[in-house]
Parts: sequence; structure tokens; C-alpha cells
Amino acid sequence: MLRATAITRRFGRTLALDGVDFEARPGEIHALVGENGAGKTTLMNVLDGWVAPDSGEASLDGKPLQPGSPRAALAAGIATVHQSPMLFERMTWEENLALGGFDQGAGGLDLADVAARARALAAKLGFDLPSAAITVENRSVAERVRLEVLRALSFNPRVLILDEPTSVLAPSELTAFLDLLRKLRGEGRIVVLITHKLAEAIAVADRITVLRRGRVVARTTPAETSEEKLAALMIGELVTQPNAAAMRPHPGAIVLQVDNLTLADRIGRKILDQLSFQVAAGEVVGIAGVDGNGQTELVELLADVRQPSAGRITAIGAIAVIPQNRDLDGLILDMRLWENLLLARPIRDQATSHGWLNTSRAIDLCRELIARFRIRAPGPETLAGALSGGNRQRLEVARAIASHPRVIVAHNICRGLDLAATAEVHRTILDFAAAGGAVLLISSDLDELLAICGRLLIISGGKIRETSPGDRDPERLGLLMAGARD
Amino acid sequence: MLSAIAKPFAALALAAALISIVLAALGASPLGVFAALAEGAFGSWYEFSETLVKSTPLIFTGLAVSIAFSGALWNIGADGQLTIGAIAAGAVGPHLGDFPHLIAIVIILAAGALGGAVWGAIAGWLRARRDVNEVISTIMLNFVAVQALSWMVHGPLMEPSGAYPTSSPIAPAAQLDFYFAPSRLNFGMLLAVVLAAACYLLLFNTSAGFELRAMGRNRRAATFFGVRIPALTVWVMALTGAMAGLGGAVQISAISHRLYEKLSPGWGFEAIAVALVARLNPLAIIPAALLFGALDNGSQAMQRTQGISPELVQVIQGLVILIILAFDTPAWSGLREQIFGASGDGANPVPPVAEMPDA
Repeated sequence: MLRATAITRRFGRTLALDGVDFEARPGEIHALVGENGAGKTTLMNVLDGWVAPDSGEASLDGKPLQPGSPRAALAAGIATVHQSPMLFERMTWEENLALGGFDQGAGGLDLADVAARARALAAKLGFDLPSAAITVENRSVAERVRLEVLRALSFNPRVLILDEPTSVLAPSELTAFLDLLRKLRGEGRIVVLITHKLAEAIAVADRITVLRRGRVVARTTPAETSEEKLAALMIGELVTQPNAAAMRPHPGAIVLQVDNLTLADRIGRKILDQLSFQVAAGEVVGIAGVDGNGQTELVELLADVRQPSAGRITAIGAIAVIPQNRDLDGLILDMRLWENLLLARPIRDQATSHGWLNTSRAIDLCRELIARFRIRAPGPETLAGALSGGNRQRLEVARAIASHPRVIVAHNICRGLDLAATAEVHRTILDFAAAGGAVLLISSDLDELLAICGRLLIISGGKIRETSPGDRDPERLGLLMAGARD
Repeated sequence: MLSAIAKPFAALALAAALISIVLAALGASPLGVFAALAEGAFGSWYEFSETLVKSTPLIFTGLAVSIAFSGALWNIGADGQLTIGAIAAGAVGPHLGDFPHLIAIVIILAAGALGGAVWGAIAGWLRARRDVNEVISTIMLNFVAVQALSWMVHGPLMEPSGAYPTSSPIAPAAQLDFYFAPSRLNFGMLLAVVLAAACYLLLFNTSAGFELRAMGRNRRAATFFGVRIPALTVWVMALTGAMAGLGGAVQISAISHRLYEKLSPGWGFEAIAVALVARLNPLAIIPAALLFGALDNGSQAMQRTQGISPELVQVIQGLVILIILAFDTPAWSGLREQIFGASGDGANPVPPVAEMPDA
């Protein structure tokens, strides 16, 4: 039995956990749900020793856990998969896994042995692993999460805590992943799943604990509750999801045209293969796909940080890009909010005259955006890293809109965001489209795309295809994303 | 919580305490030694002016290092860039006799800056186009520069009599004046202070400086938002090379008036410590360089009156740097402080994803 009693933890002026009691039993999947900033991750960090609580204690099978010691937690049998993958970018995946329990540690380090053990476990779980000696830096987010799950399981842990692991998985991978969790439960382990995908919590969990603003507001089971009830518990009020049906189809002029766009890697393999599509003013077009099928490269081409091997991108007006990895590509976490606005070239140019930066102008703009997009931050001088995930994303969207583009290209922008933040980001995007902007939304979350996109394209293996407007069957679309042909 | 200003002084006090123990163990009187050190550095107007003179090359090289480091370009080559700048100044200096004083000064300083810029740009180009780590290339270029100087004063630039391994003296027109003779205080110090202010403005008040800082903090994000990293790399290395080279030219023009072997006692390396103590802030480079200049200058008096070897000053310097850095917080723990101290809903502690430098 994993038990936390009366845990309180304060970060500066924020009370992250306020007397939280939590318990998870052997042989159960326990879902921990709540909004961004509700305290889920902090609770997990208390359990796995990353954060020492101000008061309260935790125990596993009656034995108290040493607070604030990840090493002790791991030794006690608690393994975790963090929300932002904690991998060594410039090391190979084998080396990353060698830090887990695969390495037998009998003197030297045998990477081949680590790889063999990892492959054996991965095969059992239905994961694919990259070919030998590939560094992590260029792998997709989904692959990174898989590596982290493998590393956690390599310790043969008694307790496995996963922080939003499914937000990066494709529908086809999700079923397998949930089966994996059930398998682990079957072995008598304790599985704690942190999520805000409520359908998932209801589908897989035995019990559900709901956190709101650092307090437990409900303990329930899937049989006793529903998505609507959970959502209401989490945020206190129901937020209605925007619906694509409510959007008027008013195709305006074509503002983004992509013709035969092709990108080959160094050895001539085609990462993108003759992509052609267009986006009209007022349209929200979705590109659905499993991570690693060329989306990242497409975004880089659209952002003009990479040159295509062949083909052309034509845009009327500026393109604002919101990259998928907000902490690595989108923001500079140890710079201030107003400095992060300046990262966008149109805003930087606007605040610059003859090379001189008008910083007070950027600060004013930042203050205005904080108010307009309800970014919860003390002020423009706050460091971007001090914001929660949802507010970081609001900042990115605000920055994109403030650079007055004709086209917004957004890649997995709602990954890791809760219901309220997702709805707000979607509303902002839809407002932008309604005002005549064009939006290209690239996502691995089919539900998200079906909810707000007028047209839907599928990318798979670097090729793109359009789906017919009537075809909205998630299962069939999921198969197409996985590479199936008609 | 110690303020940013109090920290260096607390570090100094701790260093003094440690060094006292060392001195006592050596049988010297700590108070007497420190008094001699202070006397030698600040005891009289002349001594103080010498401290300023000794700090000047450290300001130039310290700025070069801090600007490059702000962009996460680990320029270890300020010494070589200064040396090449000095060679350029020493080469043109003797031929400027027919120019008006002001023009001659401009030419000799420009020559130094240009020489340093070329030396820095080589490392920048290697990094940008051939992906050669600038730490390695700048260290190698330091070796080349030092030997180039040695060859120059034994060969092409050797003074006509051939008796000494030095170059011919530069023309009087190209010499910076001493304002307050007999003190050697000159225009170079003023230039260094103006350059520090200019660097501060560049870094925090221009678009180019913003791009430089963005590149330093997060190269990936900077790339994504259209900062041309390769071009910026070459420019920054050239610019910082020019600053170090200017420092070399000032040294030739104002102080030594000719080239000789081992011109730099290691200013370019001491500059790294200066820049780190100043936390890369161009304005803070001035007091940081003064601190090191004072230690250099005071050590001579210490040797004279207390019989303590000047090497001990290097021990003091080493301790000061270590302790200041230990008092300092690395970039990401400052970030963590912000998160934990912030209000709003930022309760998710961010794992330290801060990228390690490319070095």
C-alpha cells in the first residue's frame, strides 16, 4: 500500500499541496486527475523523493519513505516517468537506458547487453526501439516517453507513477499502452496514472482521486462517476468544448499554398515526400499523424529554419509558428516574459528602430497580452520558466497572435494542457480564424483535431492525404494515421 | 539573502580568512601582508593609478570573454586575440611618424582591433561552418599567436640592430599620452570604460544583443525564431576578438611602445575569471578587473616589504574566484528560485531541463 498522509508543500506564495491524503493499493491502477497546477505533479514528486514536503509523511507497505531522496524512493521500489522526458540528449538510447536497472553493474558497462534486455522487455510490451547507437536528441517525443517507461520498468518497481504519459501517444499506441498498465496491475504492482484525459482515467483506472488547487476534492471509482462529473470536480464548472460543426465554412482566399514539398535526409531518405496542400483564410486545417512521421520537419520548413530539397511554400503574409516543444523550442525559460515575446521576429522588428531595442514597448505589449490572454503571471518581468505549462502555452499563443500573422502553424499545442486551458487555446485559435486568419493545426491528438478542424489531412510516413469531409470516424482515421491504406 | 553587491565582498572576506590561515602557517603576519597588499594597490595616487593601468587590459579581455560567453560561445582565445592585435599595432606603429597624432592613434588602435577580429573570426568561422568546438580552436590559436609573436620579434619585426628580441619602437605620434605624469594613466583606461558601457548597451538595448543573449540561453529556440546562428557566431567572435585586440594595441601604444616576447602575462586567461566574477555583466567587468589589477599591483609591494612571493597572490586570486563562484548560483537554480518564489498557479516544479553548454 502506497500511502501519503496530510502532505503539505508550499512553493513561495503558492500552496501546491494542502493537507493531501492519498493511497493506492497493490494490484490497482489509480488515476490522479486534476487541472494544471492542481498539485498532481508535486504529489508525485513528494512520493518519488524529488520534493520534500513541508509536513506530512509518505509510506510504502507500512515503511516510511525518506523525504526528499529520489535514491531512497527508487530503492524502496518507486519508479516514475516524468512529464518532460529526463533523458540525456546527446547520449544514445542504450546509454540512457544503462542508467536504469538493465545494467547488471558487474564491473564494466555492457551496452549490447543493456540493449538486448531492453529489446526483450520492449518486445513484451509491444514497443519499437530505434536501431543501435542512435542519440536521443532527434527522436520524437513519443519515442522518448517509451524510453522513459522502459527505464522505469527496468528497475522492476513495486510502484510505477506515470505523469501524463499518454498525452504523446497516438490512438493506435494508446490501446497497447493501457493494456500494458493492466498487465502491470495484474502482476500486483501499484500503478499511479496522472492524467487529465478523463475518458482514459475512466477506461483504465480502478479508483480515481481528484485534486483541485492542492486539495483532494473527490475519491471515486469509474462506476460511480462520468467524464462530466469528473470535469466538474476538477475545474468547478463545465467548460464547453468548441465544436467544429459550429464553425461556418467560409473558404476565403488561399493564403498558404504548399506544392510538392520534399525533404530528404543526408542519405537521401525522404522524410517528406511531395506534400501538397493549401489553407484558406478563415479555415482551420488539421494534420493528424503519429509523432515522427515528418511533422517536426514540416513545421521547421514552414518556420523557414530549414530548406526543402524540392517543392515550395507560398504564403500571403507572415506565418507564425508555435513549435511543439514549448520548453526547448518555443520559449527561453530563463528569460523574462517580455523577452520571450521579442523572440518572435515581427515583434522584435516592431520594437526595434535603427537596431535599438525599445524595451519599454515590449514590456507594455507584454502587460497587455498578460491581461488579454489571462496569463497567470505576476508581470512582464517574470521568468518564463516560472509559469505553469498552461500559462506557457497561453504566452506562446499570445505571442503568435500579437505578431499579426496571416497564418498560424501550431504543432501539438495542447499537449499536457488541462481541459480549461485547452478550451481557451482552442477558442483563441478559432477566434483568429473567424477574424480571417488561416490555421494549420498539426497534432497527434485526433479528438482535438476532430473538435476544431474544418478539414483534416493525415500524415504518415512523410506523405500526406486529405480525408473526405464526411469521414469522421476516429477508429478509421486512427488506422490511417498508423499507416493503413484504404 | 545576500545582495548581488554584498556577495563578492563576503567572498573576499572568506578568501581573506582562508589566506590568513595559509600565511600564519608560513610564519608571516596576515595583517601585515594584507596591509602591504592594500598599500601597494591603493596606498598612494601613484600606486592607485598603476592599479588602473594594470586593470586596463583585463577590462578589454574581460569584455571580450563576457560578450562571447553571453552567446554561449566559449571564447578561451582572448589571449591570442590580444597578442595578434598587439602584433598588428606593433607592426604599423613605427611607420606612423608622418601622421598627425590623432590620426596615428586611430590607425594603430584600428590595426589592433582588426588583427584581433581576424583571429576571433577564424574560430567563429570554424565553429559556424565546420562545427569545430571553439574551446579547442581558440586554445590552439592562442599557441599559434604566442609563437607568431616570438617569430616576429626574432624575424620580420626585429629592431634593426638585431641585438634584442624586440620590435622597433612605435612612432611618438602613435603613442597614447600620460595625462598625469609620472603616473602612466592614459586614454586607454577611458576607452575601456566607454567600451564597457557600449557593450552593456549592445547586450541589453539592441536587437542584435537580444539575439546574442537568446542564442546563449537557448540555441534551439533562437534558431526556431529566425536567429541566423552561423552568421551571428562569426560576428560575435570577430567582435570579441576585436575588443581583445584593441586591448593589445592600447598596451603597445600607451605602455610598452614595442613588441617583445611574452607580452601578455595571461590577461586573456585572467579575463575568464574576471568575466565570471562579473557574472558576464559588462559594467561589472570594470570593478572585477580592478580587483584583479589591484591584486597584481599590490603583490609587488607585498613582496618588497613582507618577503612574500608574488605567487602567493595567485593563490589568493584562485581562492577569491573559487569562493565567489561558490557563492554564486548557477543559471538554473536562479530559475528554480523564481519558480518557487513565484505566485500564480506555477506550482509545477520544472525539472532542470536547462541545456548544458555545448563545450
